[in-house]
Amino acid sequence: MTAAIEGRLHDLSASRPAGSHLLYLPSGKYLRAIAPGYRELLADVVYLWSIQYYSSYDAGDRYKYLDHVYSNVITELDPRYEDPYLIGALIMTMEAGDLEMGLRLLDKGIAANPSDWLLAFEAGFYCYDTLHDYPRAARYFERAMKVPGVHPLVARLRAEMYDRSGDRRASWKYWLEICQSGSDEYTRQVACRHVHDLKIQIDVEELQSAVNAYAAARGANPPSLEALADAGFVERVPRDSEGSAYLYNRATGKVRTVAHPLLRRSFD
Amino acid sequence: MKLYAIAINTFREAIRDRILYLILVFALIMIGAGRAISLLTVGSEEKIMKDMGLAAISLFGVATAIFVGVGLVFKEIEKRTIYVLIAKPIRRSEFILGKYLGLALVLFVNLSIMTLGFYAVLWYKGFLDVTLGKAIVLIFVELLLITAIAIFFSSFSSPFLSSLFTVTSYLIGHLSWGLPLLADKLQSGPGRALCVVLYRVLPNLEYLNIKGEVVHGVPIGGEQVLLAAGYGLLYTALVLMLAIGVFRRRDFV
Repeated sequence: MTAAIEGRLHDLSASRPAGSHLLYLPSGKYLRAIAPGYRELLADVVYLWSIQYYSSYDAGDRYKYLDHVYSNVITELDPRYEDPYLIGALIMTMEAGDLEMGLRLLDKGIAANPSDWLLAFEAGFYCYDTLHDYPRAARYFERAMKVPGVHPLVARLRAEMYDRSGDRRASWKYWLEICQSGSDEYTRQVACRHVHDLKIQIDVEELQSAVNAYAAARGANPPSLEALADAGFVERVPRDSEGSAYLYNRATGKVRTVAHPLLRRSFD
Repeated sequence: MKLYAIAINTFREAIRDRILYLILVFALIMIGAGRAISLLTVGSEEKIMKDMGLAAISLFGVATAIFVGVGLVFKEIEKRTIYVLIAKPIRRSEFILGKYLGLALVLFVNLSIMTLGFYAVLWYKGFLDVTLGKAIVLIFVELLLITAIAIFFSSFSSPFLSSLFTVTSYLIGHLSWGLPLLADKLQSGPGRALCVVLYRVLPNLEYLNIKGEVVHGVPIGGEQVLLAAGYGLLYTALVLMLAIGVFRRRDFV
């Protein structure tokens, strides 16, 4: 008899739309009122439940209330709880395929935990690795770098993101910092190679712009690179990372270097 | 001396009532939770263990304070042993304070054993963190206050009503942040006045709740702990004075 009732109850509950019971999960703001003094424990309980729920692939539309579970419930109950931000963003990004939702959750975590570098690092890594939005990644890594005790890897990623964003001067500045005070010999060596290549790329770009500006102003290419300095188009003519002068072809107006790149395929 | 005798007898009575069995339940919860959490969670094992341990210490303590506290005075009246006591040269204040101190001792022993068990589990798991002790100190102060409230209500009411009033005071104490918000929403009238009075009169128990902060490693200065403890103890003294005042007016003829 009880088995028959149980079977019927099971059928009835199975006929409900997947995830429908989540409709009745109140926001953390209200749940705080039913767990006076124990809201952190309630956050743990909902977090443990969410891990089990999102580990199962039975429910078809189980991501429908994903944002509610992590953004409105768990992180409202315990805003300092780091793991729900990280795991929630991982599920949102990798499982539900909604990277912006994951980044919003991480933004909330960053705002609530200004002394936590891992959340900003994670957001930056999604922007770099999944979204390929390098300026945005650089901003997150910049934010992570402001936190004392940040992992040295973040400094390298920040320098790289500025390079990929096209801001080579900022990238060179950050690689130079690592080259001079990196955490270990290998890291310093790699950073110094970036500095070597970036300095040449920056110099060539700046000299080339100056040559183009000179030509536009005077109607002819400058006779030499030194003429750029004499005419005030550059402050001075730099030498490349290996101490050699840059090569200049007056006929084509092209500037180039004799140095070989250490990390990049070419300087073109 | 009389105070000491009443306190020790209250302590013995509670032990005979097998109050300390709660510690066994606590130990089982901690050991079981440690195993279950490692199976169920992704990360956070340390945080959940600490949250669960502190919450269990607090919950068991509050349950003991309320359900033993409300019966202390009532049982003496119900069993008519109060007549024997008040016939002796014992002040009513000594009776109330003795009962209170006896239960406070029970809570202290209970809390100390649970804390040792909690630290042992954390040590075994490699999560030992002595700064959690700050939260446990304030849990004890909260228990002292809850006990005083329970004794106050039990000095003039039945155990059922006293439990209800004490639990309500506990809930309002932890939700008092909502009272000014509620008062703002209400038009002027008795409801608004009640919210304002409750907010001013009842202790804000959230000052004694730093469980979340210590688990997350938020720095809590000694000054904050001392001030919060002082706040709780001051309220405790006030409530005990009220309880003594009410009990003095009771007629046992």
